[in-house]
Amino acid sequence: MLVSMLMAVAGELAVTRDRLDTLERLIEKHGVLDRDEIESFAPDEDVQAQREVWREEYLERILRIIHHELQSRESGESDEGYERFVEEVTRS
Amino acid sequence: MSQVQHEILPKPSHDEAARQEFVQSFKVYLANRVSPGNRQTYDDRVLPAFREKHGRDPANRYEVRKAMARDRYYQFWSSLQRTSQEMMWDSVSHSVDRQLDELIEKARRVNQGKPLGSLKLDPGMELPRYHAAVDIHCQPGGYHTELKEDDVAAGAIYDRAVYIYTMGRAGPLNSDMGDSAVNWVRNQYPDFKPETILDMGCTVGHSTLPWVDAYSEAEVYGIDVAAPVLRYAHARAEALGKRVHFFQQNAEKTNFEDESFDLIVSQILLHETSAKAIRNIVRECHRLLKPGGLMVHLETPPYAAMEDPFDEFIMDWDTYNNNEPFWGPSHDIDYHDLAAEAGFDRDKVLPTLAPSALADAKGRTGKFQCGDFAGAGEWFLFTARK
Repeated sequence: MLVSMLMAVAGELAVTRDRLDTLERLIEKHGVLDRDEIESFAPDEDVQAQREVWREEYLERILRIIHHELQSRESGESDEGYERFVEEVTRS
Repeated sequence: MSQVQHEILPKPSHDEAARQEFVQSFKVYLANRVSPGNRQTYDDRVLPAFREKHGRDPANRYEVRKAMARDRYYQFWSSLQRTSQEMMWDSVSHSVDRQLDELIEKARRVNQGKPLGSLKLDPGMELPRYHAAVDIHCQPGGYHTELKEDDVAAGAIYDRAVYIYTMGRAGPLNSDMGDSAVNWVRNQYPDFKPETILDMGCTVGHSTLPWVDAYSEAEVYGIDVAAPVLRYAHARAEALGKRVHFFQQNAEKTNFEDESFDLIVSQILLHETSAKAIRNIVRECHRLLKPGGLMVHLETPPYAAMEDPFDEFIMDWDTYNNNEPFWGPSHDIDYHDLAAEAGFDRDKVLPTLAPSALADAKGRTGKFQCGDFAGAGEWFLFTARK
């Protein structure tokens, strides 16, 4: 199941990659961009810092679930507690 | 702060760089945001369950490991941590493979000019088993594998990957270990002026070059058992304009004469060896040092300095999950005994903590924990004078 999901994500990334490639080629064709410039692009400190922040937020979204587990426990949530609540609303 | 792009450092393409940057962010994220949760899950869930079952606390890191191994938060973090390590090597090694011929050519050219230092390999040298039996910290092929003539791939991969592994916290030249040890020696022994310095297990010379800068009058030697990292080390030192003599030799038994050195150092070498080898190495240091000479070996702090078995357990992750088989055992060593066995006077042995030269680097967690390079901003030094 996990492999199937991973390959689906990998497939979608390939689609995005092709789209980006198309975009670059079209832009180059119209004389706006030299594609070698992308390869030799050296991000300055500001750009690097902005990208770092973006990647951290990105990882935060992807790994949300493992924080969720600790946060749930911190706020006193548990499987047993939920079952007790099901009983409670059943009775009252 | 970026890694210094010296002439022999592999240059990533746009996408290779993006891949490597992602791995670095991934590692930073794990160290800062995910790894600390292991302590929480231990305190909240694993420790209470252990107490209930056994009526006591875990006695040592082995018991903590058994208990944590069943915890799903720990399992998830552990899996992510290992994945980040494999992704790191992968992101760098493809980039190096693509430009390997060019790098080999550059390394060859160094010797056609007038090099400042030198390189002497020993093709007949037998690799110690502790080095060759596993790929150290999961670097595919370790430091020693050669697939091409005059191969430098292992060194090139190591140079770039160390920057990612340390998340930049070792500085733009990956020199924090050497810089930190240098600072300590200068503060502790301001009048000490070594004329000959040996760096054992130097790999690509990250920690060797700070000694060249600190003691510009000294002749500096670097030894390692692996040829590809030494070829790269030589080319790198020359590219950075530093004079070092690199030799392919085993630190357990070198070819140098008795009392050849004023100062012998190693940085993160000892934990890559074995119980027998570490004794041989310290004995060899004693043989090679001049009377009054100093040895300084830098590592992370022994487990005796840890607060409780959990901290030992989490620091011990690499032993079982990152191909560092001697990591745990080396952190149990009594350094006074080790030095005394090798011939040093007990009262001249000084194990100590020293601040990292980059202790204020961005993103320090203030913790000793796995996957959090020098997170606490401190190094352990095993030092002794002869």
